[in-house]
Amino acid sequence: MQKNLAITSCPHIRSRKTTQKIMQDVCIALAPAGIAGIVYFGARAAAIIAISVVTCVLAELVYEKMMNQRVTIGDWSAVVTGLLLAYNLPSTVPLWIPIIGGIIAIVLVKMLFGGIGSNFMNPALTARAVLFVSWGGLMGTYPITRYMADTVSAATPLAVLATDSASVSLVDLMIGNCPGVLGETCKLAILAGGIFLIARDVLDWKIPACFIGSAFLLFLLTSGFNFDYAVKEIFAGSLMLGAIFMATDYATSPQSNLGRVIFGVGCGLILFIIRAYANYPEGCSFSILFMNILTPLIDRYTAPKYFGEVKQHG
Amino acid sequence: MADQKKSSFISVFLNGLITENPTFTLMLGMCPTLGVTTAAMNGVSMGLATTFVLVCSNLFISLLRNIIPDKVRIPAYIVVIASFVTMIDLFMQAFLPELRAVLGTYIQLIVVNCIIFARAESFAAKNPPLLSIADGLGMGLGFTCSITLLSMVRELFGSGSIFGLRIMPEGYLPMAIMNQVPGGFITLGLMMILVNVIKKYASARKEEKLA
Amino acid sequence: MSTWLVIIIGQILVNNYVMCQFFGICPFLGVSKKVDTALGMGLAVTFVITIASFVTWLVQYYILEPLNLVYLQTIAFILVIAVLVQVVESALKKLSPSLYQALGVYLPLITTNCVVLAVAVNNITDGYNLLQATLCGCCSALGFTLALLILAGIRERMELSNMPKWMQGFPGALIMSGLMAIAFMGFGGLI
Repeated sequence: MQKNLAITSCPHIRSRKTTQKIMQDVCIALAPAGIAGIVYFGARAAAIIAISVVTCVLAELVYEKMMNQRVTIGDWSAVVTGLLLAYNLPSTVPLWIPIIGGIIAIVLVKMLFGGIGSNFMNPALTARAVLFVSWGGLMGTYPITRYMADTVSAATPLAVLATDSASVSLVDLMIGNCPGVLGETCKLAILAGGIFLIARDVLDWKIPACFIGSAFLLFLLTSGFNFDYAVKEIFAGSLMLGAIFMATDYATSPQSNLGRVIFGVGCGLILFIIRAYANYPEGCSFSILFMNILTPLIDRYTAPKYFGEVKQHG
Repeated sequence: MADQKKSSFISVFLNGLITENPTFTLMLGMCPTLGVTTAAMNGVSMGLATTFVLVCSNLFISLLRNIIPDKVRIPAYIVVIASFVTMIDLFMQAFLPELRAVLGTYIQLIVVNCIIFARAESFAAKNPPLLSIADGLGMGLGFTCSITLLSMVRELFGSGSIFGLRIMPEGYLPMAIMNQVPGGFITLGLMMILVNVIKKYASARKEEKLA
Repeated sequence: MSTWLVIIIGQILVNNYVMCQFFGICPFLGVSKKVDTALGMGLAVTFVITIASFVTWLVQYYILEPLNLVYLQTIAFILVIAVLVQVVESALKKLSPSLYQALGVYLPLITTNCVVLAVAVNNITDGYNLLQATLCGCCSALGFTLALLILAGIRERMELSNMPKWMQGFPGALIMSGLMAIAFMGFGGLI
């Protein structure tokens, strides 16, 4: 089967890949990162994941019942949204945070615009941004993991990197033994999920590759070719999680190959600008959201010309 | 005759206040609607300032409607409106400096508030002074009511209070995004949906009664 | 960073007049149904604002201040803008009929676009010099155009989706703008 068939939003009825199958694959790919989160941050992480997923599914169910629409929770997309939302929360947030986030993600961002495939921004990321802007104190303090020896220093790797890159251990970044939101820390688990999805033809490698690659290059160039620093920069924060699981959302990323390259490089550039110069310590979610809103325009100007298309008059 | 006049005065007034509410039906004057509505008090004062300018400009333009040549009517209207805006701006700077600081440029921008322009062009230029005052009052108060409502909702969630009075329980953590740009857009959008649903329901009821 | 870069990045992204400050919402919501019309409107606005920033700055410092007439700022500026729009319209008609055809419909609407007046007033409040004021005007207008194009792109796409009936039109556009504004918030504190 051709690669791009699975990814365009048109209903390819003949294809064996249904939305449900794709979303189940994504859930499987997300599992390792979640398990790592529970291992590092304890039972509370599990509670937040559960609440977030249940809220998202219930919100979709209740909305569709109220509006007398066909119930679509069987497609598993609400589960994926719930998982991604939970992975973007620190494990210390109060338990009402995932509830509010889930309702915003499903109702405001997705269902109001017509349900799956119609949202123009990633639901989980938008909900996270709303929560982050509203309750910055709760959302911006990251707990340390249960296996960290030095309990005093709870600064995130990103904050430390800016001043002293040598003191951050690359091994800790890879296995996830560092403070952060609950699903982002273990990069190995995230990468494993990403490779699984690419192998299953669910994920197009272009967006993550361009995203991570362009960010890496920018950090490398601006640090005077400090290789060690640039590598740690791309393994710190939520860059991996965002690039692999959230920038690649079908509904909110461009369809054409050129569009995807532009999208990925744009994400990398904005991430670099926000990390280096702006208020927020981590620019991953905002960079993806900004490229999300540019996606209709990117699609418009990079769409392949249809055979026999006539330029419209006027 | 007098009765007829009175009833048309009231109907024009109500038309502005409810039927053709500038915010929810005509969608005019969106910038101040969204820009100053983070606290209920700001909403009320902005609304009243706009109402004042609207009533005065409607009256003057209606009085001058047979004198102003059609070709220069837009600059003429602008001068009339801008004069009243300057008056209220200077008045606020002298007597309500704190409020003026909060509302900022938006007071000067009443000049380009499309409600005032639209009413001058579509109502005051064609109707006698008394009716124009009624239209100005109705539209102005309709605008005031809707932006007060919007600012009450935003203040409730964004600061936990209404008109500075604490409403939410002690443990409530204010939702800061309501005080920022996204909160304004989204609250107004949701309120507009609500108003449309109520309107639809009301008109369905009316039809039922008629049938 | 140099003042120039601060003005450019600041006006287009960080302090975008539409997405971060609530100015120019009426044309933003009104002329954003199609990308092509949004582009036309954006270009017309950019054209007028750039010239208006230049002229109002001169008016403020060479007419109003020497004559002690600063309290007439609002009246003077809005008159300048209204006249300017008229002049631009007639000039375009004579000099470049094709450009006039493309932008003509939007020009009269610009008088009541509050971005024009807001930029002119803010240029004075911020104490920019003539060149900075003109650049600031141009970049603010480009920021307006960017927001307009993004919303138009989203709305064009949403035409194809099965949005509930009560979301279509203004309520939907408002909620879309709100979500867009969230994305713009990431640039907070950049300068």
